[in-house]
This record gives sequence, structure tokens and C-alpha cells, in this order.
Amino acid sequence: MNTNVATAGEFNRIVRFLIHELKPRGPWLTTFNVISIPVIVAGLVILCFRFIYGLGSVTNLTQEHPWGLWLGFDVVTGVALAGGAYVITFVVYVMRVDKYQSIVRITVLNGLLAYMFYGGALLFDLGRPWNAMNPFIGNSFGFASVLFLICWHFALYMVAAFVEFSPVIAEWLNLEKARKFLKSLALGTVILGVTLSLLHQSGLGALFLMAMPKIHPLWWSQFTPVLFFVSSIYAGLSMIIFEGTVSHGVFKNLLTPKGHHSFDDMVFGLAKGAAITMFVYYVFKALLFIHEKQWDLINTSWGYWYLLEVLGFVLVPAFMFAFGHKHRSLNIIKTAAVIALLGVILNRLNVSIICFQWYEPVRYYPSWQEITVTLMVIFSEIWIFRWVVTRMPVFSSEH
Amino acid sequence: MDSFTYVNIFETKGLEYLLLLSFWALFVYLVRYLSKPAKKRTEER
Amino acid sequence: MDRRGFLKTTLVAGTAALAGDDLGALELRHPEEFVGVLVDTTRCIGCRACEVACGETHDLFVPDVINDGALATPRKTSERQYTVVNKYETEQGDIFVKRQCMHCHQAACATACPTEAMHKTLKGPVTWDGDKCIGCRFCMISCPFDVPKFEYNEWNPKLVKCTMCFERQEKGLKPACVSACPTDALQFGVQVDNLEIARHRIYAHPDKYVHQIYGEHEAGGTGWLYLSAVPFDQIGFRTDLGRTPYPEYTREFLYAVPAILFGVPAFLLGLNALADHDKPTGGMGSEFLTGDEEAER
Repeated sequence: MNTNVATAGEFNRIVRFLIHELKPRGPWLTTFNVISIPVIVAGLVILCFRFIYGLGSVTNLTQEHPWGLWLGFDVVTGVALAGGAYVITFVVYVMRVDKYQSIVRITVLNGLLAYMFYGGALLFDLGRPWNAMNPFIGNSFGFASVLFLICWHFALYMVAAFVEFSPVIAEWLNLEKARKFLKSLALGTVILGVTLSLLHQSGLGALFLMAMPKIHPLWWSQFTPVLFFVSSIYAGLSMIIFEGTVSHGVFKNLLTPKGHHSFDDMVFGLAKGAAITMFVYYVFKALLFIHEKQWDLINTSWGYWYLLEVLGFVLVPAFMFAFGHKHRSLNIIKTAAVIALLGVILNRLNVSIICFQWYEPVRYYPSWQEITVTLMVIFSEIWIFRWVVTRMPVFSSEH
Repeated sequence: MDSFTYVNIFETKGLEYLLLLSFWALFVYLVRYLSKPAKKRTEER
Repeated sequence: MDRRGFLKTTLVAGTAALAGDDLGALELRHPEEFVGVLVDTTRCIGCRACEVACGETHDLFVPDVINDGALATPRKTSERQYTVVNKYETEQGDIFVKRQCMHCHQAACATACPTEAMHKTLKGPVTWDGDKCIGCRFCMISCPFDVPKFEYNEWNPKLVKCTMCFERQEKGLKPACVSACPTDALQFGVQVDNLEIARHRIYAHPDKYVHQIYGEHEAGGTGWLYLSAVPFDQIGFRTDLGRTPYPEYTREFLYAVPAILFGVPAFLLGLNALADHDKPTGGMGSEFLTGDEEAER
């Protein structure tokens, strides 16, 4: 009886706390709000049209280009950029490198939100989203499908990332017992999360294996899954550097001075990792190029586009990371991170959209509605991110 | 003469995933089992 | 071809011609084997009766074949039409080619589908089930022949493609297009027999046909086979698709998945055990797996 009363009291406390926390804080008229609110509203209106009149009413998708910006950018690219979470949890929890301890929480949060929003964006793109549970509930398992695998891995990974992040929520709600229990799950969920990430990052590449005759030969290879996995590592590392830099600027007041200082040290370490991974990725690309004897294809406009991606957006930032690490230059590293991120975006868009059906005379360009909805997804993710970091102990490291 | 009948090269996928799930379920217990008794024995000695 | 095979072929060709809509005789011969259609483009006169029959059978768009002048430019199948007939001007004169789903033996679309909505039936036709489909359009990405089409302007869109009239076949009827064809350019039957008929025609008229049966090997073999008087790339077919069945391209990846899923966690746990345990780890939480929660606290 007593325990019941205690539990009820605890429950009431949490509900009152949540209601209090849900209230907005801080000034309303910030630049970000002024830009993002209209975009989110417009995006929601566009989505209404999309669900009433069909995908064709707001997108430029055609029978030749069934996957456009919502899939090629939101899902295929967004997931690659969220790779930081599995890389950093691997380093900290599996390899026990304590140096990066203080950015684990923020990175896992970023990864979790990215999966929720970019994976969630898949629902707008599905033609029959009310059937979206079909791959899960067991009436029709397409075991042979790469997409089936990705659906499951997304779902499981979100659970794993949520459990990885949940001690922070428990700490925020002041639930000490739950926090201890959830923390004890950490290594298990991290190992699960890293394994699942390995498979769905490469799985996104495997989606395009059967599209062999439709993708330009410079971008199609049996090893696309491996390439996608390797590039997701440096995409994740670059994203940590990029996001860390931005949030250290924006959320300065939430940081302890010590935290700020050690972030620079971490950036140098991350840059080293990124330089090595990018170089490996570049050599892999070169190996495939030689093995497939693709030199005839280089002296075409597609060949120049390929060279731009591989040299300009992989090799150059790889050297910049290495140089920045050697000469302790944060600015060079941060620039390299931006270029590397653009390179990953370019690569994913090339494989999924730009070089898909490259011989078709009619090209696909995203419509303004597609771009607005994509921005809506990004902005609403930032809104949730901001809400979480200003309330939960995300920037402080574990104690 | 060739014949043309249904071929599914992924026929066993479902079973493979079932095997996997049972592996995971057992694996956690295996690791726990392997790490616990070793400690107790050192305590006894 | 041996004598028996030859006799069988002529017999099959004969029964098929006589049988009309009834295909009982054909089904009994090889009840367990794939059915398909042999298209002899040298016999096609471009009347487009198949397009009309298809549209009427499946409640789709029925073209006005006399007035619409659609043969002027090659078309693709669309969300309104399972099948189209195209005209190609070649050195052998105008050649008409009916296009529709090829019904691959190992269908890329059916392999790609995460819910088995695209389904390769045991009899050969590839069908689509709207209750299962989530509309991801991965089948469209994967199909080497670009066949599945999507209704972009519907709130409840369907994936549209030829089903080889699976429902009619269940009732013992031929596909509507085959029944409608006035010149026997379309020949419905068991795949083995269709191949024999096709080979027989090539051997019997070596100057009339190119010595290739499109669909015999393309993409690992397809249910629809084509004969032509000119090389196939001149009449709108892709000849660079290869002989590998498309599901084979994802075979290695999908085989690796279970291996990685049990191998990598074990490997990671091993790495974790190798990493320095003496360092203060800030509550890394290996307690769950190792079960020594109390010991660490």
C-alpha cells in the first residue's frame, strides 16, 4: 500500500515536471525561429496536398526517377551523416577511449533524432504509408529484400540508440534506479547498435545493387555496400566536428569551460580518424576504378563529375584533415569537415538520384515543395534537439 | 532439356534470421555464464 | 533437336493453334513449370488488339487504336496501360513490338519487395498485392526492364504492371492479349515448349530471324520470349542487361548479413575485453553482459 502511494506520488511529480518542462523558454523572436516556423508550416501544408492528391502533386518524381530528394537526401544521405553515433559509441564504450566521453551524449542524441526524423521522412515518401507496418507485423516478410532488412535495422537501431540515450532522460527526470538499470544496458546496446549500423549503412548501398544497368558505371559497383559503410565513418566524424562547432557556438551558456577546452583536443583526434578513413576510402575508389578498367569513361562530362567528387571532395579534404591535425589548425579541420560532408552528400545523391537513369533525356530536379519539406524535416529536428539540450543534461558528461 | 520452375535463392533467409535470434538470446547468457563462475572460484581459493 | 523433340514441338504448336482459349492440354503436359508467351515480332501487324483487350480486361485505359496515331513514337508502358505496341523502322521494314512485363524467372522486383507484394507465383506470372504493398517503389528501382509503374496522382496509388492475366489463367484461360491476337504473333504456353517452338522457327527459317531468342538468357531468363528479324537493339530492347539473374547481385550482401550479425558482436565484445579494464571507465556498463553489476559498484 505504502509503495503504491509512493509510486503514485512519484508519477505525479514526473507529470508535473513534464508539463513544466514542455513550456517554451527563451526569446521567441530569434532569427532561427523566424525562418523555421514559416518553413515548417509550409511543409505541413504541402504534406496535406501530398496525402490528398498523391505524390505527383507536389514532387517531380517520374516513372524513370521513382526516388527523389525525400529518399535520396533525407533517408540515404541523412542516415550516412548520422553515422557519428555508432562511431563514437564504438570508440568510447567498446574501445574504452575516455577522451571522447563528454561528446557521447550529444552525438547519440544527434544520431537518434536524425534516425527518427530522416527515417520518419520515409513515411511521406511511401505511396501507401498505412501499410508501413507490414514488414514488421509478420503477415508478409520479404526476407529476400534489402529494404526489408533496412526497415528492421532502422527500427532496431532507433531502439538501441534510445536505450543508449535513456540514462540522460532518467537523470533529467531524477529517476536514479531507472538510470542505473539503463546504464547497465549500455555496452550491450552499443554493440548491437554498432553491428546494426554496419549493416544498414552498407545496406543503403546494397539497395542500388540490382539497379546495375541503370546507374552510371562509375558509380555502380558490387562493392557499393562497403564504400557506403567506409564513407559513413568519416561522414559521422565530420558531422561530429561540424555539429560540435555549431552547438559550441550556439549553446555556449550550457557548457562548462573545461568542456569547451577539451572539445578542441577531441577535434584533432577526430580529424586524424577522418583523414585515415578518407584515405582508405579514396584508395578503395581508385582500386575499383582500375579493376573495372574505367579510364575510357573519364574523358566525358560524367567522368569530370566523378573526378570532382573523388578528388575534390574526398582526396582534398583527406589531406586537409591530415594537415590540420599535424599543424594544429582548427580552421583547416573545420573547413575540411564541411567539404567532406558535401562530398558525402554529393556521393549519395549521385548514386541515388543524379546518376540513376543517367541516359534518360529527362532529368529529375526536386520541386520547391520537395525542398521545403526536406527543410521542414531538418528544422523540426533542430527544434527538438534544442528543446532536449536546453532541458536534459546532454552537455555534461556522465558522473 | 532445361526446365523452368520456381527458384528462390533466398529461401532459407527466414530460418537464418531465426537461428540468429536464438544465437543472440543464448549469447548473452553464455557471456554472463563465462564471466561469473570464474570470479567465484577465485574467491573460494 | 532430336526427332522426338521435333515431333513434340510441332504437336504443341498444333494444339496451341487449335486450342483457342482452352489451355487444358498445355497445362497437363508440364503442370509444375513456368508458363510464358512467345512473341514473334515478324508476325505482328501492329493492330494493337492486345492493347485494347488488355485495357478492357483490367479496367484500364482503352486506347482508340484507329485514330490516336500512337505508333508514331515509341512509348513505354504506363500507369494507364500494362502493354503497348511500338513501331520501329528498320532495314527489314516496319517492325511492331509489343512490350509489357517480362515476368523474369528470378524477378528483381519480387526480390526487392520488402513485403512480398510483388510476388513470383509458382506458375510464372509476377503479381502485385495491394494489401501488402507499402508503395516504396523499390521494385521500380530494381527492375532491369523498367516495368512497374506508379500512380503518382492518386491518394491511394497502385503499382501498375502486367500480371500475365493471372486471374484468367486460374480460370483456365489464356492471357487476354494472347486471345485477342489475330495473327498468332503471341503464343501462350509452357516455357520449355515456347523455347522449342522459337528454336524451331529459327532453324526452319534461318534467313528470316536473327539467331537469338530475347529472354532466353536476358536477366537470367524471362517468361516472355521474343523473336525478331533484326538485331534486338534496333527494336527498343536493351542488350546490355547480362545473363545474371538480378537477385544474384544482392546475394553476397544478404548472405553476409546473418554472418555479420552474429560475428561482429562477438568480435566487439572481444575487443572490449582486450581494451584496458583498469582505467576508470565512468560506468561503461559492461555489467549487463557480464552480470557483475554489484561487483563494479
